[in-house]
Amino acid sequence: MNSDLRSELHKKAEQAWPDLELLIGWQAGYDDLHTTPVFIRDSAEISKLIWNPWCTQNLAVYVAKHFAASSGKDDKKIGVCVKGCDSRSLIALLQENLVARERFYIIGMPCKGIVDLRKLHALSGAARILSVQVNAEQVALKSAAGVLHFPLDEVLMRKCRRCRYPNPLIHDVLVGDPLTPRTDAHEAYNDVAAIERLSLQERLAFWQGELDRCLRCYACRNACPLCVCQDRCIAETRDPKWLTQYMHLPEKFMFHFIHALHLAGRCTECGECERVCPMEIPVALIKEALNKITLELLDFEAGLDPQRVPPLLTFDAGETGI
Amino acid sequence: MRIGVFVCQCGTNIASTVETEAVAREALQHPDVVYATSYMYTCSEPGQQQIQRAIQEENLQGVVVAACSPRMHEPTFRRAVEKAGLNRFMFEMANIREHVSWISNDRQANTRKAAELVHMAVAKLRFNHPLSPSRVAINKRVLVIGGGVAGIQAALDCAEGGLEVVLVERQPSIGGKMAKLDKTFPTIDCSSCILGPKMVDVAQKENIRLYACSEVESVAGYIGNFSVQIRRKATCVDWNLCTGCGLCMEKCPAKKVPDHFNEDLGNTRAIGIPFPQAIPKKATIDKEHCRQFTRGKCGVCKKICPVGAIDYEMEDEFISEDFGAIIVATGFDLFDHSSYGEYGGGRFPDVISGLQYERILSASGPFGGHIQRPSDGRQPRNIVFIACVGSRDASVDRPYCSGVCCMYIAKQAILTRDHLPDSNCYVFYMDIRSPGKNYDEFVRRAQEEYGVNYIRGRVGKIYPKNNHLIVQGADTLLGAQVEVEADLVVLATGVEASAGARELAEKLRISYDQYGFYMESHPKLRPVETNTAGVYLAGVCQGPKDIPSSVAQGSAAAAKVQALFSRDTIETSPQVALVNERACVACGKCIQVCPFGAIQWKELRGGIQKAEVLPSVCQGCGLCNATCPPKAVQLQHCTDNQILAEIDVLCA
Repeated sequence: MNSDLRSELHKKAEQAWPDLELLIGWQAGYDDLHTTPVFIRDSAEISKLIWNPWCTQNLAVYVAKHFAASSGKDDKKIGVCVKGCDSRSLIALLQENLVARERFYIIGMPCKGIVDLRKLHALSGAARILSVQVNAEQVALKSAAGVLHFPLDEVLMRKCRRCRYPNPLIHDVLVGDPLTPRTDAHEAYNDVAAIERLSLQERLAFWQGELDRCLRCYACRNACPLCVCQDRCIAETRDPKWLTQYMHLPEKFMFHFIHALHLAGRCTECGECERVCPMEIPVALIKEALNKITLELLDFEAGLDPQRVPPLLTFDAGETGI
Repeated sequence: MRIGVFVCQCGTNIASTVETEAVAREALQHPDVVYATSYMYTCSEPGQQQIQRAIQEENLQGVVVAACSPRMHEPTFRRAVEKAGLNRFMFEMANIREHVSWISNDRQANTRKAAELVHMAVAKLRFNHPLSPSRVAINKRVLVIGGGVAGIQAALDCAEGGLEVVLVERQPSIGGKMAKLDKTFPTIDCSSCILGPKMVDVAQKENIRLYACSEVESVAGYIGNFSVQIRRKATCVDWNLCTGCGLCMEKCPAKKVPDHFNEDLGNTRAIGIPFPQAIPKKATIDKEHCRQFTRGKCGVCKKICPVGAIDYEMEDEFISEDFGAIIVATGFDLFDHSSYGEYGGGRFPDVISGLQYERILSASGPFGGHIQRPSDGRQPRNIVFIACVGSRDASVDRPYCSGVCCMYIAKQAILTRDHLPDSNCYVFYMDIRSPGKNYDEFVRRAQEEYGVNYIRGRVGKIYPKNNHLIVQGADTLLGAQVEVEADLVVLATGVEASAGARELAEKLRISYDQYGFYMESHPKLRPVETNTAGVYLAGVCQGPKDIPSSVAQGSAAAAKVQALFSRDTIETSPQVALVNERACVACGKCIQVCPFGAIQWKELRGGIQKAEVLPSVCQGCGLCNATCPPKAVQLQHCTDNQILAEIDVLCA
């Protein structure tokens, strides 16, 4: 499905290269099911770029954490490939003045959805996956046990099944044609609504069960494009001492809720925190719940309009509706 | 740290429902507490001496007093520990009166809660650091906003004391509502005769600069150092040239312009001076009605003006001034009675507001002081006054008493009977509120000497019939229905917050109540101060009041400013935000949320950006601290570690 788009990506990257010092994209990983980020500093490496439903990483994460402050040589820019969801992270960084728009050349990739490897493994059972073919709406999974066919929807990541922004909202060039969104704002928070329907006791029990598994590896934090405190995260500082290093449930709760509160009105729902969690805790749900509140209360979604200031980053005495 | 704990009994205020001895005993168990005692009145002279003695004898490094609200006595105790040689910020107060003894009778639960509050205070104190204030110079200029009688009084009193005063008035003339009144109660002296000289004084005082037709655009800074931008609205007349001769007003061809000074009872011209005694006596063009602006041609005033003062191209001008203090005297507006459908909802020309009737009574009013009906100019015979229109009425969201209506109705009824001895005056009232010097006697005179008919009851309906207005009401004392065939109905329209009061409050960062009246710092003990240091209140902007009270408050505000300015510098509180540069990740969120503009970028060597707090601008609200993700911004004396320590002991 992607050979046309891949050559279009290569062509557009070649065209842009004279203005770039670095291009961040995806390359093939150690097997067909994995991709890894690639940092291209030589035009000969452009052919490494790939684009397929496994290109899962949100490359915007590198933008604020590593390249925001560096200034380009000869005004050269940093190119970055973004899916619809990733583009919102970039816009959120712009909204907070954490990056400068003119520093980046944005290659937008309209995205039909990213495959969730965990779902694939669950469907294949114990058998080793040999190869996977993705056609328009179908997935053919070949394993030692034979070939299985699934609708694409069934193996997509949770964030993709509730995707409202398949097309990059900010880009200098687009690879492929724009797509129609899968859901609207109303449906997008169905997962949160399902949790909200639980009684308080059930909800507490649910989160106690989930968060008890947390290892405090901080992968969720490190993968978040908007967690900008870097090595000053208050989960690890001693002054002020908000958290201890004990592996108690209250400390785990505290960490996750501080993380979520720091993202209130900022989270762009790229789902990276949830994807990278080795314990498969649905941590993105907490942030989605806050986003739902932000949308209802303040009519704001992070990462849509670069000009808008996130409501929790302003002081407006005349603010209504609160 | 060596900590002493002093538990106050507050006579029986605390001791009756809290076992203060037990609270003190338990405090001794907490780490670092080396001394604890309970005393009858800790705030008294011997109580303070007990603290000071303990600091000396026990070598205390920190003191906790468990007593009343810190708003009450924190300054007292801080001074006390400072006299004994401690830094005043090595002191914490636990409120076991307002938060404990006064709100419950459960002795056991109260004692437990008091002990916990003391424990929290001790836990916090262990993280306290000595802090010292810095001093900033005071700019000894004062801004008075609003040129009604309260603002005029405040400006004159400040100027009398030698201060430089700037008076900003949004109307073309100062004088405010008082300038529109005919006579004043209870002495029936002429309003403009007593106000006029004060207005002239404002114009003549060399140290008062008057900006009429101007509004406060923005306010920055803090006590001692406010920086204010003032918008001078385009009058289209160069006031440096205008002599106030009034020729333009005579010749202006736009003759059907509603006369706002006369409460729209008559017409005026599109250019002119609002009233003969106006200060400054300068002409202003009403762009809404001026033919030069509505039709694009006319130019009569420009041709006729002997000094060539007319400038149609004039635009709003902005000027910046610095002040050390601000007096707010923005006055009030009258309730719009059109929301009372039963009184005609503003549709009957002969149902008028109290202020409209003032203009009718006034010799400089639309009818030259002759009482006549606005509809046909006929002299009314039966005049009905209705009290509490837009006052004491929750259905129109005005549950408060406007305080002046009972008195002004009595005055208007007396004046009516004076002007028209054959007339009949009826007053429908709910209660008579006349608690002022000679006020009740005045109302009695209206009833007894002037024969005004006072009917206790509400009016249910007014409707027109045969060129009269039928007023239907109840006489609740007789328990009967009353119907009066009136020629003129005067509604005692109440007082409400001035239009734009809320917007101004937000610029000044002062608070207001749900009706838009500005909040004083303490309803009894600090009636002139606001909670923003250096901003004072005068007149009705703070709540309904009459002329004597407004004048008194104007003088009081001036006295506060004089007291402030008697010093050359003021201490700024060290309870401000501080950035730990090592922890700052330069995300800039604190800069965005700071309501006072107190945080800015600072560049370190190598071009590294960090946030920096301007301590003299910071008000210590803590928004930056709440917003800062790595908690690099900490509010001094209220740090995260201090709050976490309090929570820890509470949850332990």
